[in-house]
Amino acid sequence: MILVIAEQRGGTLNRTTWETIAAAQQIAAGRPITIVLPGASVGTAARELATAAVAEVLTVESPALEPYTPDGYTAALQSAIEQLSPSLVLLPHTYQTRDFAPKLAARLNRPIITDVIAFKTTGGQSTFARPVFQGKLTAEVAPQGPAPHFVTVQVGAFRPDQAERGATPAPVRALPVNVEAGAIRQKPEAPFQQAKQAVDLSQAARIVSVGRGIKEQANIAVAQALADALGAELAASRPICDSGWLPMERQVGSSGQTVAPKLYLALGISGAIQHLVGMKGAHTIVAINKDPDAPIFEVADYGIVGDLFELVPALVKALKDS
Amino acid sequence: METLILWALVLVFTGAFLAQVATRVRLIAAAPNTFSVDHLGVRIGRLLLDVVLQRKTIGERPLAGLAHALVFWGFVAFGGYTVAEFLFGLGIADVTGTPWFHAYRIVLTPFAVAVLAGITYLLIRRAFFRPAGLGPTVSVESIVIAVFIVALMATFLLGWRLDESSPAGRANWWVHMLVILAFLALIPASKHFHLVLSPVTVFLKSPELGSVPNLDFEKEQVGLEAVRDLGSKAVLDAFTCVECGRCEVNCPAWEAGKALNPKTLILQTQDALLAGNREARLGDIYTEAVLWQCTTCGACENQCPVGIEHLPLIVGARRGLVSNGDAPGYLGSVYNHLERRGNIWGLGYDQREKFVAGAALETFDPARHDVLVWLGCAGAFEADFQKSLRSLFEILRARNVRFGVLSKERCTGDPAKRTGNEYMFQELAKANIEDLRAAGPKRILTSCPHCVKTIGADYQRLGYDVEVVHSAVFVEQITRDLRREGTRRDSVTFHDPCYLGRYGGHVDEPRELLTRFGGEIREPVRNRENPYCCGAGGGLLFADKEEEPGSRISDVRFRQLRETGAGTVVTACPFCSIMLKGAQTSAPGAEIEFVDLMTYVNGQLAKR
Repeated sequence: MILVIAEQRGGTLNRTTWETIAAAQQIAAGRPITIVLPGASVGTAARELATAAVAEVLTVESPALEPYTPDGYTAALQSAIEQLSPSLVLLPHTYQTRDFAPKLAARLNRPIITDVIAFKTTGGQSTFARPVFQGKLTAEVAPQGPAPHFVTVQVGAFRPDQAERGATPAPVRALPVNVEAGAIRQKPEAPFQQAKQAVDLSQAARIVSVGRGIKEQANIAVAQALADALGAELAASRPICDSGWLPMERQVGSSGQTVAPKLYLALGISGAIQHLVGMKGAHTIVAINKDPDAPIFEVADYGIVGDLFELVPALVKALKDS
Repeated sequence: METLILWALVLVFTGAFLAQVATRVRLIAAAPNTFSVDHLGVRIGRLLLDVVLQRKTIGERPLAGLAHALVFWGFVAFGGYTVAEFLFGLGIADVTGTPWFHAYRIVLTPFAVAVLAGITYLLIRRAFFRPAGLGPTVSVESIVIAVFIVALMATFLLGWRLDESSPAGRANWWVHMLVILAFLALIPASKHFHLVLSPVTVFLKSPELGSVPNLDFEKEQVGLEAVRDLGSKAVLDAFTCVECGRCEVNCPAWEAGKALNPKTLILQTQDALLAGNREARLGDIYTEAVLWQCTTCGACENQCPVGIEHLPLIVGARRGLVSNGDAPGYLGSVYNHLERRGNIWGLGYDQREKFVAGAALETFDPARHDVLVWLGCAGAFEADFQKSLRSLFEILRARNVRFGVLSKERCTGDPAKRTGNEYMFQELAKANIEDLRAAGPKRILTSCPHCVKTIGADYQRLGYDVEVVHSAVFVEQITRDLRREGTRRDSVTFHDPCYLGRYGGHVDEPRELLTRFGGEIREPVRNRENPYCCGAGGGLLFADKEEEPGSRISDVRFRQLRETGAGTVVTACPFCSIMLKGAQTSAPGAEIEFVDLMTYVNGQLAKR
């Protein structure tokens, strides 16, 4: 049996749970899947999970599980796993999982493979792929020793819309576990966000960034139009923010924000090293610059040597037409 | 009767003097011993130059310095006279009637006139002109002391006119003696304590600028956390400070409008020591932010005429903060990059490999190569500096210098060392030393002045001794037979990197190279051994501007360079280049070309 440990906060499911269910269904190859949902009062979320094509949804409810604590979750899930004896336990590789899953696996003296992006099953034995060396290499890891084996699934590695739904809702039942409130050593404070910035570029999926090639403040509108067409955030290199053409909080680089969007469009940015260190984590870098020797082309995945005032309006038009 | 009164007065005033001195000596004795007398020759030489000949005092402020020198030399000359008069007054011995003493008095007369001239100039300057470094308010104590000195000289000169045994003569004599006694009692608690301490402090100052000894982790050293951790030299420094403000007016952070003032730092140390709270945190005494505004350019320490060492104090206090996890946020990612990637940018090693392959560099082999070229982290990753290195390689190849590089380099650890992350510095240093030992070069050539200082001085203290030379010095040596042809001269300005000019003393070689290859140098303000920093040192390359008051140090320096009117700024340090180019992008309409020295030289060679 494959066990999926679902994640919720305040009764709302974390969408990565559906990614983990999709992964479980692909790995299962006929084996039954059980979902365990820990929390204090999770009936609604459990009914939502029951729409998945799984054998059973078990709620593990205790007042001691709200708010989340690693001690509470470890105790409750240890008890659940001991009752259910699964062969494989899948969890989404969220911050919460990173917090308690290693402890849980260690408590049960079982192996854990984290941040898994793919799997392969040959002759009944599954191997799991996980990135190493900052994603430069991928390692294939096979768990050894007695079951259950723990596997955490990288966020975004499986698609939530590929999770199969059942023809009829799966049965939901409560799994009794005993969590002693006194055994929980952590005392969580209310959640807070540190140094809340008006613009959090670090979370942006797409960024259109402008540099000195934009020439004057009025031309920022050209870049803004592209950002709007792409649904992207507007950012800038240091001289733009120093001139006050864009607020400081939109500066990318060593003295500004560090960003890692899926797409980073650099318009008229030469690519001084202080800027590069702030955006080198971007998945795809597209640079438009008049100077073919600009250092930005060293790091760009796609580079266009040309006039941004010609290219950007054309891009906006093409995006709007498509 | 007069003898008895003098005895009583001498006992009271000398007692007051000694009691105050004892407090300070006890504080020095209680501090961990950091005194060292290595390199005795250098120390004696400096004592002669800086104390006897007043080099630093005169060097920066010729007029005031000369006036001070006149007063100083006069004081020394008067030493014997004062002793003789007290011996006489106390009824111990009387040599005042001898012909020798008469001759001595004649010799002293021009000194007395010189002291009077000097002190009058200084008194007027301090009371009415008040140069910035002396602080916003007139120091009453300084005025009193100056008046004392005037009185001493006036009474001495009057002594020629008055009959010593007449009532006027006696009164004159008594005024002279009383002023000396009052002066004595005022000395220890005032900046005039430097009269007593500065020769000692100058002698004990490390022969190496910015000398911050490595920590010994076996002894659980973590840097300076509280007053109790201040070493004996730092305590001596605090009491020696003469408050002249040379450190202040030369500090790039202070000039750029930041809160850091090296003079204030020393005076706060003095106050904290006298307050007697040995457990007071240095981070509270100085205010933490100030400690992180230092670029470690070394101007304060280098300009100090009385031998104070600011850098061990600032870096030491940073160590105390870092070991308690109190480094500013931006350093977190720098440390992370150093730890995980071995460079400050956090870029992958493949970038360096790409550069090494692209420039067709060979891996160093002592049998086949004369020098090992150390690329440094800017050389491995920064586009403009890579261009400069390619120029260096072309020059070396053209002059048949056989060179190779290490297959792998880490950051030397300079940013970690200067920001007080000593553990990380030593980790990087030890790993690099191991690789360097395995490669076995006799000579290391690098274009980064920070690497020169770190490998040359800091690695040496970890037991790795090698000759490290900056490319400006090396290339100057190997191109002496070359000249740019033609008579056309380019107007250029040269920005001395702190770690090359001030720390390394190499100010002539880059200028010689520029002149040799057709440059006409327009000197900026703050040049040669006392350059104004670009703002990158001490880990500040990555500092956030918004967190600090004042302008960017790099913007100030950029303006200074621009004011020379030269269209080309030549630099010889990757950090200076990055900072100044950055400043240019924020200065609208400024189209100045930045060229590294090697690129300039190679470009001129190619035109031949």
